[in-house]
Amino acid sequence: MRKDIRIAGAGGQGVILTSVLLANAYGIKEHFNVSQTQSYGPEARGGACKAEVVVSDSYIDYMKVEKADIFIAFNQLGYEKYKNETKNNGIILINSSLVKTDPDNNGLVYELPATEIAETKFKPFTVNIIMLGGLTKLLPKLQYHSTREAIKAGFKDSAAEINLAAFDEGYRYIEHYYFKQLQKNCS
Amino acid sequence: MLRKEVTENEGEKVIQGNEACAEAAIHAGCRFFAGYPITPSTEIIEYMSEAIFKNDGMFIQMEDEISAMCAIIGARWGGKKSMTATSGPGFTLMQEALGYGVVSETPVVVVNVQRGGPATGQPTFSSQQDIYQAKYGSHGDYEIICLTPSSVQEMYDFTIKAFNLSEQYRTPVILLADEIIGHMRERVSIPDSVEIEEKEAIEKCDEPFRRDKNHVPYAVDFFKGCNILVEGQLHDEKGRRIGHLADKSGQFIQNITRKITDNCAELTDIRHMYIEDAEILLIAYGSVVRSAERAVKTAREKGIKAGLIKINIIWPFPEKEIFRLAGHIKTVIVPEMNMGKYCREIERCLKQSKVISAPKLGGNIHQPSELAEIIEKEAALSYE
Repeated sequence: MRKDIRIAGAGGQGVILTSVLLANAYGIKEHFNVSQTQSYGPEARGGACKAEVVVSDSYIDYMKVEKADIFIAFNQLGYEKYKNETKNNGIILINSSLVKTDPDNNGLVYELPATEIAETKFKPFTVNIIMLGGLTKLLPKLQYHSTREAIKAGFKDSAAEINLAAFDEGYRYIEHYYFKQLQKNCS
Repeated sequence: MLRKEVTENEGEKVIQGNEACAEAAIHAGCRFFAGYPITPSTEIIEYMSEAIFKNDGMFIQMEDEISAMCAIIGARWGGKKSMTATSGPGFTLMQEALGYGVVSETPVVVVNVQRGGPATGQPTFSSQQDIYQAKYGSHGDYEIICLTPSSVQEMYDFTIKAFNLSEQYRTPVILLADEIIGHMRERVSIPDSVEIEEKEAIEKCDEPFRRDKNHVPYAVDFFKGCNILVEGQLHDEKGRRIGHLADKSGQFIQNITRKITDNCAELTDIRHMYIEDAEILLIAYGSVVRSAERAVKTAREKGIKAGLIKINIIWPFPEKEIFRLAGHIKTVIVPEMNMGKYCREIERCLKQSKVISAPKLGGNIHQPSELAEIIEKEAALSYE
């Protein structure tokens, strides 16, 4: 199994941190091979920013992403730039507070109003962790607890607390609006 | 002589290439680091500035890269294994002192995490443009050992190897990484112990630069009462200046080059895949190897007999081994993140083959699909 994950957004939105936490969750907690790369941070602040994570249970040759299995867009600019670089049967997770999608998407779109949730329930800086919550629900072979552990290890006490709460919110949102609905429709 | 050194923090972790390099340096026994921070190698300096003090070492942030290189040479003669890390512009400033390190036969490790050049160039993008500078950057005739890692694990392993080779051959060794490897995070397994080369210092100091049969001088300990002159002018086995003596100076240059070229077989580190029946061959080094690997697999899936040679030590140029592995192959493709430099060496070595350069400029790595396309095109040509 190899999964190519691409995250795009504005520099400063936490795109790279999200990818690092994801790589830690997969690599340390789930014992997968991971390669995490990024468009380099400080220079890109405010501009377009991209991070990529490749996850595999075998050796990873090419460490970057050509066509993504899973594409996460934090803002409209990021979405526009990489929307066509997603596989036809891929998954697209958008921050629906800031991103409007085209009808002719390559993949299946999941919407998560992360900016809105962050601003009403938490702090604005938790947007990326809310997205990470939703993402963890969508990704294969990634346990809820693995990402939580990665977040715990990545932040100090008070910051960890608010981020874990934000993570849960994102995770539950996707679970509630997509998976629970799906179950209802099926039954 | 190899000594087993127990490492701390063994186990598996997800870390950056630069962090892996710094951690390996500590495990290899590096106890002096001097440098001037520069993207994309800054994380090495950051890490060392904390880690080295925890290990009874010394870290100095110098005023520039010229002094950084000079400081590590001095520190090595003071008895500590030393390293510096930089990128293109800093590496340029280090060239004079690098030559000094070569002539004074000082075992130090210089890490160059390459970015796009020339000049300030592209600070945050990757390249492989410095491969000739690594070999020819300083003036005069000399040879250098240069390693090119292509994964975070190799960044760890090759740093240890760089220290060992520098001790073994008593010469500066260059670890030539690039921005992608430096900033990439991957899962790395840190062994519980590493093998460290440690040369025993000679007791008799009347001939401190006496050489063994491989032209390598013995190790000297400054603090065992040796009277020794270490400086930039050519020297004989006693350490005396010989710059004014034509015969002896010629002999000296022979010695410092032959200690590397004569041991080229030992300094050859090549990996290969699918070359047994290969008709088209990719030869790559550094981060580009990873794209090439995928491209070769893609070509194989389409029935094209493609193969790959991965070069871990680019200098000294492993001429014999490349000829042995690839001398019979008709088409050879050399992908590089520069205008096409190493392909010239390959051309010189594989005169019977059609050597195609696949350069990539601008800071991005070759996409596997680009390379697969070139392979397919060449395969179609050869079947015509």
